[in-house]
Amino acid sequence: MKNWIPAATGLVAGVLAATVFFADFSSGPSGSATNDHANKTNAEKVYVPFGEKDEYYLMASGGHSGQMFIYGVPSMRHIRTVPVFSPDSATGYGFDKHTKELMGDYNWGDLHHPALSETDGDYDGKYLFATDVGNSRAAVMNLETFTTRDIIDVPNTSGPHCAAFVTQNTEYMFLPTRFAVPIGSEYASLDDYSEKYRGVMSAVTFDEENEKLNIAYQVALPPWSYDLSDAGKKMSADWAVMTTYNTEEATTNLEINASQADRDYIVLFNWKELEQKIQDGDYDEVTGQKMIFPEKHKGGIYLVPVAKSPHGVDVTPDGEHFIASGKLAPAMTVFSFQKAFDAIENEDFAGERNGIPIINYDSVMEREVDPENALGPLHTQFDDKGMAYTTMFISSEIVKWDPKTGETLDRVPVQYSPGHSVAAEGDTVNPDGKYLIALNKIAKDSYLSVGPSHPESMQLIDLTGDKMEVIQSAPVNPEPHYAQMIKADKIKTISIYEKEENNPLAAYNQEDTRIERKGNEVHVYGIAMRSKFIFDAKAERPDVIEVNEGDKVFIHLTNIDFDQDITHGFAINSYDLNMEVQPGQTNTIEFTANKAGTYPMYCTNFCSALHQEMTGYFLVKPKS
Amino acid sequence: MNGKRLSAVSSFLLVAATLLIVASLFFPWWKMEFFAPQYPEGLNIIVYPDKLEGEIDIVNGLNHYIGMANFSEENFPELQYLSYLIGGLAFLVLMTAIIRRKSFLYFVIGIFVIGGLLGVWDLNRWLKNFGTELDPMAPIKVDPFVPPIIGENTLANFVTYSHLGLGTYLVIAAFILLLIPLWKDRQK
Ligand SMILES: [Cu+2]
Repeated sequence: MKNWIPAATGLVAGVLAATVFFADFSSGPSGSATNDHANKTNAEKVYVPFGEKDEYYLMASGGHSGQMFIYGVPSMRHIRTVPVFSPDSATGYGFDKHTKELMGDYNWGDLHHPALSETDGDYDGKYLFATDVGNSRAAVMNLETFTTRDIIDVPNTSGPHCAAFVTQNTEYMFLPTRFAVPIGSEYASLDDYSEKYRGVMSAVTFDEENEKLNIAYQVALPPWSYDLSDAGKKMSADWAVMTTYNTEEATTNLEINASQADRDYIVLFNWKELEQKIQDGDYDEVTGQKMIFPEKHKGGIYLVPVAKSPHGVDVTPDGEHFIASGKLAPAMTVFSFQKAFDAIENEDFAGERNGIPIINYDSVMEREVDPENALGPLHTQFDDKGMAYTTMFISSEIVKWDPKTGETLDRVPVQYSPGHSVAAEGDTVNPDGKYLIALNKIAKDSYLSVGPSHPESMQLIDLTGDKMEVIQSAPVNPEPHYAQMIKADKIKTISIYEKEENNPLAAYNQEDTRIERKGNEVHVYGIAMRSKFIFDAKAERPDVIEVNEGDKVFIHLTNIDFDQDITHGFAINSYDLNMEVQPGQTNTIEFTANKAGTYPMYCTNFCSALHQEMTGYFLVKPKS
Repeated sequence: MNGKRLSAVSSFLLVAATLLIVASLFFPWWKMEFFAPQYPEGLNIIVYPDKLEGEIDIVNGLNHYIGMANFSEENFPELQYLSYLIGGLAFLVLMTAIIRRKSFLYFVIGIFVIGGLLGVWDLNRWLKNFGTELDPMAPIKVDPFVPPIIGENTLANFVTYSHLGLGTYLVIAAFILLLIPLWKDRQK
């Protein structure tokens, strides 16, 4: 009769269970960006409201600041500066043990062309490589943490400006040099320049597991200056190209003397062939490096004549052409890889230079493109339709043109004097189009004045319409030479370092903190947490370190706040020391207590409401 | 005799209740979420019958400012044996399904009610301990407080929300299944 009651109650129980199983009780804000580009004002196109994120990362080289600048696109907001070749007290870079070792004896670097790691010719978002023209080094930055992981010195070379460029599966990063020097940078008279000097190029490999860079081999190219370069793609994947200037081999007043010849060269080389030479032992061992001398270990390297003093050489996304721009003979030249391969096959050469075959210009040249009054073409990027965008340094504009026809499609003025530009994934096999940023060398009155020293200027150009349109300008510290623009969702960062249970330097529990003396060495295993330091939990004053004058002090500090954005700093007054420990990270600072006295220690990175109380004392007993 | 025996359908419901109780062991029973301006994503303390989950270390790190004791599995001896008690209860329900005696069902329902009340009392006792026995040396002095078992509480920059977890709902569902035979097999 009333049988519906048990049935109904059973149903209620079932629904209750189902609700708690499947219902979504999650709370918190959610947002989605509407990205309809049409009909938006310029302001709307670049506005990224709080809670939403930029669509692209811009990783701009910092030139002689030795740093990388990370921006968001399209907002053009500066997000972070990552130190690479220069110390940075804000992050303790160059102060803590690891980064001090990375920096070696150098205090600065000239960070030029950054290159993202690639898989199948597309950015994979894992690593960023960069070179130091100032002190001849190469570096790699991990993009999970945006920190520099390794730096190597590149011997026999001086100023790897013509870098970095990676092959399409990051097999190699090549570092050709700007300045020719004698092998080993030994003393040699400039009168012997042509005989004794070399423009050495290095082939660098990256060991991802250990995050180590390594020089696989070097090539002793002629003593010319190597300016810019690009790796082949797809059908040209085994090849690479780089521009040269001063093939005159001038040794003074290069402005005049290196601008005499009507043509310089593009060096075209097959890195697979060079790799094979190394495997076959077809090289000389010089200064501990495997060195290929092109005139002796022949093959795999060719010269292509090009309009004089070229700057950029860029491979089209389909990998079929390379475009070089003669900055003094103002034209862009489109060369065909296939024609070059045929010419090599048929030995269609116009003699040799320094033992390297010269391919006939007319055999490889596809077309010369010379937009009217466009002066100083430096560097070319590409969009999703294969259209080329070339910066015009002298006429201060970006020219859009079709490499297949040579037709000029559009021009837009920029303020002023763009060196490089960077398009969204614009040097990959698969550019996105959408945005291009002109990296301008001259800002003049673009921004509020800060006196004689000016910022550089980056201008964001919308590529989605029929006409290019400058939609945003942003000042930037000196000085971006080149940049990489990568879709934000390709970058997978971490915000907290994981516990390393086997790290002997880490202390994750207060009970593990201790101060150990070994002779005149003092080893401190401490923790930083909101809002205190604990160096020895059992001591009467756990936040005090007492040593004797002259002791060597090792402070290993672990941040045990495994909480996003809770960074602690650590500084000792008057000891010129500062470092940071990120959440979960263990970091070491090493120094000699060479000043007796009393020195407060404190947390330098504002961490909590009681950050001001996060202090201690470093006491150095004088020698009696 | 018929009046003292449970029907086959009732027996089946009791087996279902047993399964729900066993399932509850694998889900959280209670949860407290903490929100603050700088923690819009929220921090959690999630209580299972045998363990704690969530951002316990971070919550502890923040709670030390008001002198609150640490949440940790060692501090809650209940976590050592609670799952056995729940397992025992499931066993009793299963026994009822097998022996099908109404009197035994009354007994099990009695145990269920007592267990539930004890659980609520215990949870409330802990909340009271944590909220009122604050370290007098704490840098931030707050008035003693008792967060509710279910509902909202505000403390300094934090708003907390306490909820019952899925495990508790499963057990409530099981309890409802236990009551149905009383109705279904009532004396007419
Ligand atoms: Cu701090």
